Order: sequence, then structure tokens, then C-alpha cells
Amino acid sequence: MSFDVEVEKHLGDADIAVSFRSVSGLTALFGPSGSGKTSILNMIAGLLTPDSGRIVVGGELLFGDGVDLPPEARHAGYVFQDARLFPHLKVRANLLYGARRGVGALGLDEVVDLLGLGALLGRWPRTLSGGEAQRVAIGRALLSSPRFLLLDEPLASLDQARADEIMSMIERVRDELKLPILYVSHNRAEVDRLAASVVAIHR
Amino acid sequence: MTLNPDDWEVIRLSLKVAIVGVLATLPIAFALAYALARGRFPGRILLDAIVHLPLVLPPVVTGWLLLILFGRTGPIGGWLDRVLGVTLVFRWTGAALAAAVMALPLMVRAMRLSIEAVDRRLEGAARSLGASRWRTFATITLPLSLPGVWAGLVLGFARSIGEFGATISFVSNIPGQTRTLPIAIYTAMQLPDGDSTLVRLACVSVALSLAALIASEWLVRRQGGRAHVL
Amino acid sequence: MRRFLLLIAALLAAPVVAAAPPPLVLAAASLQESLNAAADAWATRRHGRPILSFASSSALAKQIEAGAPADIFISADESWMDHVARHGQVKSGTRISFLANRLVLIAPAASARPVAIRSGFPLARLLGNGKLAMGEVSSVPAGKYGKEALTQLGIWNAIVGHVVGTDNVRSALALVERGEAPFGIVYATDAYASKGVKIVGTFPEPSHAPITYPIALLAASTSPDAEGFRRFLISGAGKAIFKRYGFIAK
Repeated sequence: MSFDVEVEKHLGDADIAVSFRSVSGLTALFGPSGSGKTSILNMIAGLLTPDSGRIVVGGELLFGDGVDLPPEARHAGYVFQDARLFPHLKVRANLLYGARRGVGALGLDEVVDLLGLGALLGRWPRTLSGGEAQRVAIGRALLSSPRFLLLDEPLASLDQARADEIMSMIERVRDELKLPILYVSHNRAEVDRLAASVVAIHR
Repeated sequence: MTLNPDDWEVIRLSLKVAIVGVLATLPIAFALAYALARGRFPGRILLDAIVHLPLVLPPVVTGWLLLILFGRTGPIGGWLDRVLGVTLVFRWTGAALAAAVMALPLMVRAMRLSIEAVDRRLEGAARSLGASRWRTFATITLPLSLPGVWAGLVLGFARSIGEFGATISFVSNIPGQTRTLPIAIYTAMQLPDGDSTLVRLACVSVALSLAALIASEWLVRRQGGRAHVL
Repeated sequence: MRRFLLLIAALLAAPVVAAAPPPLVLAAASLQESLNAAADAWATRRHGRPILSFASSSALAKQIEAGAPADIFISADESWMDHVARHGQVKSGTRISFLANRLVLIAPAASARPVAIRSGFPLARLLGNGKLAMGEVSSVPAGKYGKEALTQLGIWNAIVGHVVGTDNVRSALALVERGEAPFGIVYATDAYASKGVKIVGTFPEPSHAPITYPIALLAASTSPDAEGFRRFLISGAGKAIFKRYGFIAK
């Protein structure tokens, strides 16, 4: 069992209540925009505190029963919808930001090969295209030795060709690294292609 | 128009007073800017108002308040004198304090704007990558708020170089210790034949202020565009 | 519309049509209380109360030189009046020295002990680490007299490092009142005006030039009342007011 999540949160004038368990592989959170999917990811990552509930990922209790691990202790590889690269660091420094010494199965070279980042290493984030930035964001998350990945609509702002490219890379990551992945999307085609199981979120 | 040794002494003293005043205030200004930008505590509005007080109070009032607090018979000044043997009145250290107090509001404003402009989602990203609160502050928040720190430093320096009212009412006018550039100009105005000194020092004052403003503008442009989220 | 404009014109004209403007008097800082009393007395004799502006004689002389539209100048030393006269700004025949003062050494009231002021007296030792508050010695009359006296008594070089020069004599008084300086040199009249200080010694008259206050009507004077006020100040009745505050009438 990879994700065992049950949370409730009152946010503005929306109420989020979700409960799901999933097996290994890529799990999709599928639903229309504004249904709280990003908030669910934020709660699993520790960036937002649920009103109540329990979050267990890969067998480890992240939230619940008096436990509330800070984000830095959860080892989530979070790829944000808007990439969120650090503008004052070059691509190489961005990639290595979360890398921990001596730990982690992946080295910089492997990730660079996996995602085709070689030509981008010396560039500033503001000079990258949407697709390039998204690849760097995925690489940065992978290099932080995550125990699981959270991907928030990573293909949303990309054209079809770029989206296909990134989807292939996500498939490679899913198949070669075997990490539990929670993938948020409102796009049926993506979900059908990538997901082993789907959790439908309603507004 | 050449400057004589007395002129140079005045300029050296002014630079010393302004630089020491601004550098000593830097951590306090940053801490206040951070608290005002991010803090949510009761009395925040009051703190904001107090920080801005030197900006709107008549400078002589600020100088008088410094005198009753930090003078030899004042609560803080008396303690400094008895316990540490430090006097501020009639000394350049007092002039630096007066300059620092007058520069503080400008520095806090510039830094606060910069801190508020840092995208907090970037800080969230750093935390998700394993950075502690402290590491996030040091590697993300602080570097991204540097433009405001530089702007604050230069503005504070320019204000300190021109500081007169609070200085003369707190530490009087002592050549070599508290006779900074504006005070030296004021003194020259009172002398029967002070006009040539007046003109020389006034030119220096204008030149220094222009240099500070140009430097501030250049710094802002150089750092521009680095605080945006991609 | 026409009636509205007439009303505005009437309102603007009203102050001009009213009583003649009172004289503007620029006076040395040491005259603060006494001159205010004299102006009050003048006002009770049915004249507009004069407007008084106090500062050090040096600052006032520079303002007059720059064309300040004042009627009367009262200086604390002859040289600043000479300065103004040299620039042709004094109405001839109106200058007269009418008051005199003494120079004294003061200390905060709480710690005051008498000091014998004579040639070579140990002021440096008495000062210790502390400062001697006086008017700025190159421009303020009280400072100039003070330096002259200390030089004449042979101790100027010994104490010059202790001197704090203030921009007028009242600021020096305030520093001693506050205890920031253990000693100060001011006029006797200033010491009388303050409860926070005591006179610990009086400088012998031979140690400095006589402290006299010249008064004159300025060339720029426009107030018709100005000459009347000047005559009042130098009259017996006027001088009596100054004597109450410790001045010596000449």
C-alpha cells in the first residue's frame, strides 16, 4: 500500500474531504479545476495542515495520531504546477538544492541523462521554456532522494509535443525508479495513459 | 577649488559616522523589516508607527529624546557610563547613533518591501526539498531580499550623511568628534568670513548625495528582475 | 459674482487697513526673559506688541547681512554690531550701548561649590573628564568673552580640549542644567534665569572686554513704531526692567 490518505480541511468557502488508499505505481487524482486537488497534495507534502485526518505514505505516518511531520522530514518529491525554480540559482544549483550527501539512489549524471538536461545546466531559470523548466523541476525533485513523488498537473502549460516528451519521461521514472507517485490532472487522456489507479475528486 | 586639511577631517568624520551608523543598524533594521513583513503579533501596527517616528518627528525632538535617554544622566546613558565606561554625548559614537536612528525608518521600509516581494511558494518548495526553516531563510528568503537590503543601505547612508537636527541637539558641535559635514556648513554660516568654507563644503555635500543616489539607482537596476518566480 | 469678488477683496484688505505692524526685533539670546518683559510693558502702553526673535548675535548679524527685514538689532557684543554697520545696515545716529553684563562660571545646582577665579586657577583639574560648555568661541559673543578671559588668566591652552562650543549661550546653559557638562561659562543674567545652575565664580572685569549690549535701528526698518520702542528700551523705565533681571544699566 503506497498512499493511505484520509483528510478533511475547510478552506475559504470550500470543504475538502477525501479518503483513499492506493497500490503501488502511479495513482492519479482526477477531477475538475478548483476541486481541491492541489490542496490535497499540499497536505501530503506538509505545506498545509489538515483540520483532521491521517496520512500514511509507504508505511510511514506523516500526519495523524498527534504526529505532524514538517515538510523537510517527509521526503516528498513535489513537482509544482508552475515549476517554482529558484530564480537566483542556475539550473545546476536548482537541481542539487535538495540533494543529501551520501544518501539517495540517484546521482546528478543519471538524472541529467534521464531527463535530457545536459544542455541546460549552466542556464538561468528565467531563460528556460515552459517544458525545459518542468523537466528541471522533475529532476530537482528526483535528486532530493524522495520516498514518493507528488506531481501537480505537470503538463498543464505545455504544447502537445512537449507534453508527450514529458509523459514519456514520467513513464521512465515510474518504471525504472519504482517510487509511489501521486499525479494530479484534469486531463482524461493523461490519466488513462499513466495511471494504475484513479481517485476521482468531486467539487 | 581645493580642499584643505580641515575640510578633509570633516569629510572623514562624516563618512565614519554614516558608515558605522548604517552598518550597526543593518541587522536591527532587517529584523524589524522581517517582523513587520511576516509577523502576525498584537501591537504590530504600533511597532510600525514607532519605527517610522524619526521620519516624521522634528529632528530636534528626536535629538532631545536621545539626549534624555542616552545622556550621562539618562537611564541608558547613565548605565553605559557606569557599567561600560562608554559615553555617547559629545562623541562621534553619539553622532553615529543619531544618524542611525534617523536612517532606520528608510532602511526598514526598503527592506520590508523586498521581503514582502519574496514569493512564499518558493520557500514552500525549498521546505519540500528538505530544507529546514533556517536553511530556507538563509538560502532562499535572504538572497531574494538582497535588493532591498542594498537599497536600504544606500538610502540610509545618504540620510546619515545629511543628518543635522538630531545630531546637533544630541551631541553638540565638536570639531573632530561631532562636527559632521552639515554641522560644519552650519558653523561656517555663523563666521564673519566663513563663505569660502561654506561653498567648498556645500559642493562636497552635493557631490556625496548625488553619488549615493546614482549608486542606489544602479544597484536597483543591476538586481532587477531577479526576484520573480518563473 | 461681482459681490463675491468684492467680499474677497475686502477680506484681504482688512489686515492691511488695521493697526500699523509692530516692530521686528532681532536680539541676543541672553535677553530672552528681560526683553519679553519689556515688550509686554510696551504693549500695556497701547502699542502693538513687538515681535521678538532670539538667537546668537552671530546668527542674527548674518541674517541682517542677508537682508532680513527687521527693525531693531540688539547685539551682545560691539563687534557684531560693527559688522552690521560696516555693511551699511544701521540707521545712523540710532546706535547706543545701553546694558552691561558680567561673565560667570556655573555648575549644576546640586554639585555647586565656589571656585576662586584668578590667574592660573585649576579649571582643568576641576573639569576632570568633563566638558566646559560655552558659546562657540569663534562666533558667539559669550564664547568669545569666555575665551578671552581664560586666555588672559593663562589657562586657555590647558582647557581647550574640554570645550564644547554651542550655537548660543542658552544652549551652554542647558547643557550644565542637564548635568551633561560639569561647568559652563555664561552671562550672570543667564544664571539668574535658571534654577538648575548656580554661579560658582565671577570672572574679574579686567580679564575680558566689557560686555556691553549695543542697540540700533536697522536701515531696513519699516515699522513706524520701531523708533518709539527703541527709545523706550534705552529710557530709565526700560532699563529698570532689564535691571530686574540682573543687567547693569549704562
